[in-house]
Amino acid sequence: MTDARYHDHLLQRYRVIGSFLGFLLQLLGLIMLLPLLVLFWVPQEWGLSPGFLLAAAPLLVMGWWLRRCTTELEKRSLSLAEGSVIVVIAWLAAIVVGTLPFYWAGLDISRAVFETTSGWTTTGLSVVDVATTPMLLLFYRSLLQLAGGAGLAILLVSVLAIRGGVGVSSAEGHSEQLVPQVRHSARLVIKLYAGYVLVGVIALKLAGMSWFEAVNHSFCALSTGGFSTRAEPLYLWSSPAAQNILMVLMLLGMTNFLTAYTLMLGRWRAVWRNAELKLTLGLLCFALIALWYGTPVARQAGVENLRITLFQVISALSTTGFVITGLEPEGGFSWLLLMVLMLVGGGSGSTAGGIKQQRIVLLFKNLKQHLLQLSSPPHAVHEETVWIGDQQRSLSGDEVRWAGTYVALYLLTWLSGGLILTACGHSMAQSLFEFASTLGTVGLSLGVTGIGSASGQLWVQIAGMLLGRLEFLVLFWGSARLLLDLPVLLARRCS
Amino acid sequence: MNPESDGPEALQDVLRLADPTATLVVVGCGRLGAMLASQLSRVGREVVVVDRNQAAFALLDVDFSGFQVVGDATELEVLREAGLERAAYLLVMTEKDTLNLMVAQVGRQVFSVPQVVARVYDPQRESLYRAFDIETISPTSLTAAAFLQRTLVKGGG
Repeated sequence: MTDARYHDHLLQRYRVIGSFLGFLLQLLGLIMLLPLLVLFWVPQEWGLSPGFLLAAAPLLVMGWWLRRCTTELEKRSLSLAEGSVIVVIAWLAAIVVGTLPFYWAGLDISRAVFETTSGWTTTGLSVVDVATTPMLLLFYRSLLQLAGGAGLAILLVSVLAIRGGVGVSSAEGHSEQLVPQVRHSARLVIKLYAGYVLVGVIALKLAGMSWFEAVNHSFCALSTGGFSTRAEPLYLWSSPAAQNILMVLMLLGMTNFLTAYTLMLGRWRAVWRNAELKLTLGLLCFALIALWYGTPVARQAGVENLRITLFQVISALSTTGFVITGLEPEGGFSWLLLMVLMLVGGGSGSTAGGIKQQRIVLLFKNLKQHLLQLSSPPHAVHEETVWIGDQQRSLSGDEVRWAGTYVALYLLTWLSGGLILTACGHSMAQSLFEFASTLGTVGLSLGVTGIGSASGQLWVQIAGMLLGRLEFLVLFWGSARLLLDLPVLLARRCS
Repeated sequence: MNPESDGPEALQDVLRLADPTATLVVVGCGRLGAMLASQLSRVGREVVVVDRNQAAFALLDVDFSGFQVVGDATELEVLREAGLERAAYLLVMTEKDTLNLMVAQVGRQVFSVPQVVARVYDPQRESLYRAFDIETISPTSLTAAAFLQRTLVKGGG
């Protein structure tokens, strides 16, 4: 293609991208307005509202303008690469604009961006003093986690009856569908999610939390986010019943939506065959027993200690990061164990982060296949299969290779991030723990991240959270496309 | 096929009438099967395609968001995996008339799918299908009719 034709082609494609972005920005704008509803209960905090209005207004206007300029949306489809561009721009916009309410409330730029990213990526690391933060902002943080947990693509596809949903939703990493139609599937996910939240809020309220606490904790447990409304660890102020409910909610949040759906349809056999669930159970049992016996000082007597340990284990594995009691100040064994859980993370296609159990399962099955092959005649064929929902798939070389690459990339990023944190003056154990928590979007902290953290360190962690949430590929792919395409688009306009 | 079009207007109208969450199973993902499945998926229907050959799914377009099942449609297990028990429509589109008849019959009698349509090349076999209460579309008859009409119109008949 000649330059001129290539330019025209790109221009056309970006018009389609623009119209999708327009929808997304408007959706984001509405999300930014939602926290203002809290003002009905706390009218004295109205002084914070300009921050939200300042954030919502440009989004709504930009979205409206983009949609007006680009009307061909209905007739076009999107490729995966174009979906990636949309996802990258939308996430960046969500973070930039989401920063404004915090900034308006008096946080500096680094801290405001950190808090917003921690919200959208459902990490839960925090650099604000929760005790003095207004309720409006606390609710806003939780809302960010709720929306971020579902993912922008799922929100977009479920709200709009448009085409091209496949490109956007698979770019954000939602590869498995509940039903054979991307739109219905996205809506079903949102319905399930909303159902969880509703049940969670009511259960937590019955367990003795105030409405405000119940709503926030339900949001943050199900999105596996982990922001809390109080600075003190949960054990000091909430009832055991509430803690138990939170455990269930976190487990729900880390379960693949497809698995949960199959479970709800009553297909128990399919659930039992699911390797991810077995891995979750195995890891939980192992970590529970190891931590129980391995921790030198029991915090509470007998069964109570077991319950606290279980909460901690679920909080780490589900990448939620709720803190039930403080972590031991010098806990080599428990730190490392929790670190491993954070690295593994939750189920694929859930709101959790980490390497994701599906990839671990794939690599283990691959190992088994290799070992079997070594011990049998050269031409024997061993086929390993994985169950996803109620569909059985044979192990494909491509999938295994990508899982291996992903794990390597993840660990490398983890080590690099840990290296940078040690350079900021923290101990090796603390740095690695903290960056495992950052990259896995967990939110457990050994005190490295806090109000007093250096700005440079915060920006490294911001990058870590985004990479972890968007699973590397889409960020690389989307930004590479943008960088390649933009010069072409701009060059012609100038000439 | 023009990948950017939403398919014929008639298709759109028909689709608006029926239950939007009904599942359609398309057996055979050749050129025809893939085109139908893509169009149905694009207008928002729930579609499952079945083909013996994984590579055949490359014919589906990028917007296809239905499920793909690899397997021999003559096996009950494969059809069950495709969710034929819950399907409202079964479209049988493989290249073999005999295979189509068998799958359509299984769909009708074993899975009691309410709507079954099969492709049959050989017009003489259509009566056989009719005996089993299966709707058929014969590309051969359709093409013949189209050719005849075109020739007669052009010829001033």
